[in-house]
Amino acid sequence: MLTTQLDRLIWRRHRKLFATMAVLAVLICVSMTFATISGLRYVDTTQIVDVSIRRWQVYSDDQFVAYTTFFHFMFLGIGAAFMNQDLKDNFNQFLFSSGFSRKQVYWAKLRIVLAVLVGIVIVVTGLQYLTYWVAAPAGMGFQLAWPGLLTSWAYGLMMSFGLFSIGWFAALIMGQTGTMILTLLGFTISLAGLDTIYDNMLHGGPFHLNGSQRDWTIILTLLIFAIVLVIWGAYLYNRSSLEHNGEYLLFPGLKLPVYIVFVVYVTGLSLFNQADFNTVLITFVVTVVFGYIWLWRPRIGEAWHQWRQHQ
Amino acid sequence: MTLQVKQLSKQIDKRPIIEDISFEWAPGEIIGLVGRNGVGKTTLFRTMMNHYVANGGEVLVDGTSTLAKPALQQRLFFLDTQYNFLNNYRLWELPDFFKLVYGKFDQERYMQLLADFKLNRNSQYRRLSKGMRALVNMILALSSNATYIILDEPFDGMDVIVRENIATMIIDEVADQEKGFLISSHDLNELDGLSDRVLLLKDAKLLHDYNLEDVRSKAKKLQLVFNGKEIPAVLKAHSQVIRASGRVLVVVITDYTPEIDQELRALHPVLFEELPLTLEDLFRANLAHDTGYQLIK
Repeated sequence: MLTTQLDRLIWRRHRKLFATMAVLAVLICVSMTFATISGLRYVDTTQIVDVSIRRWQVYSDDQFVAYTTFFHFMFLGIGAAFMNQDLKDNFNQFLFSSGFSRKQVYWAKLRIVLAVLVGIVIVVTGLQYLTYWVAAPAGMGFQLAWPGLLTSWAYGLMMSFGLFSIGWFAALIMGQTGTMILTLLGFTISLAGLDTIYDNMLHGGPFHLNGSQRDWTIILTLLIFAIVLVIWGAYLYNRSSLEHNGEYLLFPGLKLPVYIVFVVYVTGLSLFNQADFNTVLITFVVTVVFGYIWLWRPRIGEAWHQWRQHQ
Repeated sequence: MTLQVKQLSKQIDKRPIIEDISFEWAPGEIIGLVGRNGVGKTTLFRTMMNHYVANGGEVLVDGTSTLAKPALQQRLFFLDTQYNFLNNYRLWELPDFFKLVYGKFDQERYMQLLADFKLNRNSQYRRLSKGMRALVNMILALSSNATYIILDEPFDGMDVIVRENIATMIIDEVADQEKGFLISSHDLNELDGLSDRVLLLKDAKLLHDYNLEDVRSKAKKLQLVFNGKEIPAVLKAHSQVIRASGRVLVVVITDYTPEIDQELRALHPVLFEELPLTLEDLFRANLAHDTGYQLIK
């Protein structure tokens, strides 16, 4: 996997992060599996996995989850941490003058981090399935089928990749770790509101999609969004200039687009969630003012004192 | 073999920090970079090394732009003293990174120099004193075997003995004409006797590119005492007054000609003594205007 000097450099730099994440994933996921298995004793069934696993659809129930939700958080967190750490610890300075083009560095980083994350998913999922197989209560069967597994893995990985791209891109354009985490949390939580809007749009109006079609439409939209973010990230990384390190946005040219997206996005959420006119108006005004203060940091207090002195 | 900085410019927050900087640098040269605080010395280094994206210009190694062929950057070494990634690592770990970038990195020499300077290889970089960090940076630079080594305030925090050892090592390094150093320093005494050339930055621009041998052959520093209290017109026209104490004047004349010599002697000074000319004198003489460096008016 580590074919070039650059790969080895990135691996040397981040191997502790990867190892920590792998250990954490094993501990959390295997202990969750044990907890689920211990609850199976009280369930009146002879099979842990339902026969619906033989169908080409995402499989998930209380007894068995083919692709663990923890992986989504892992992809989101590592996407952000991996990119942010190099900025915060000034490793970008070394990378930018290491004799490799920014383009090479960007794609090598992406390739390595995704390969490691997928590797962790494979190993941890294998351990989880093994735990089910070994520790299943007596008299209870554990039978899997490829259609359900493959569909669940594909769906899960696409969702994880979508969240990864959001964390990755946020860390690429933001120069402050704390506010980056807050922004990321706010945006990720707001995606739940977006899900409701999507649900309303795809069930009513011109679309009459069933549950499965709706899920796949959402995941494909997320995948396209993720690919756009990753490609846009490559473009921006090539133009990243480290004098903005420590500022909220590392690219001053993004202030206005981020402002517009923020106002439209939050107001749109309020509008599509069938809020009344006053609520939408208040949301709009608050986002306009808050976004302006957040992004441009006007020295309102200083301006106020200056104005008063002139009076 | 040359490195060429060509019309390099960088603006930060729409303010020009360096403007149109051009110079050439060949292995075997030790170039000093001087200028007052905030004039853009570190920005020049960071822009040369692609940490900052330049607004204009380029860096060429043997005629090829480092942006067109990034591998050429491996011929340059620069470790940002303010922003570097070394903090979380122990000294023995650092070659792991540098040898992946600098093909000729000499790990044996690195370990030997750590031992010579009594630095514990198990120490964490962030736990070192300022002077010890500067020393580790210097050891990394020397071990990298890069052709062009950029050092930003390298002697900051070092004690006199270590400083002298390092200066000797730098001079030894350039002896075979395979390496060159570009050294910025506020303490001009540090560069005295070390640099062959001095680049003077002022108002974001490269004001002068001095060949010190030429400059020293033309310039003179004089201590003079005249009968009258008035500063003679010839001095007002051609010199920078470095110090005035009563009737004793210390002046630097950057272009000392036989005509000036004749005019001064014709004034029959009570004292006419030539003093050794330091880099600091030249710096003061050239930056006296508009910088607040004037000692008398």
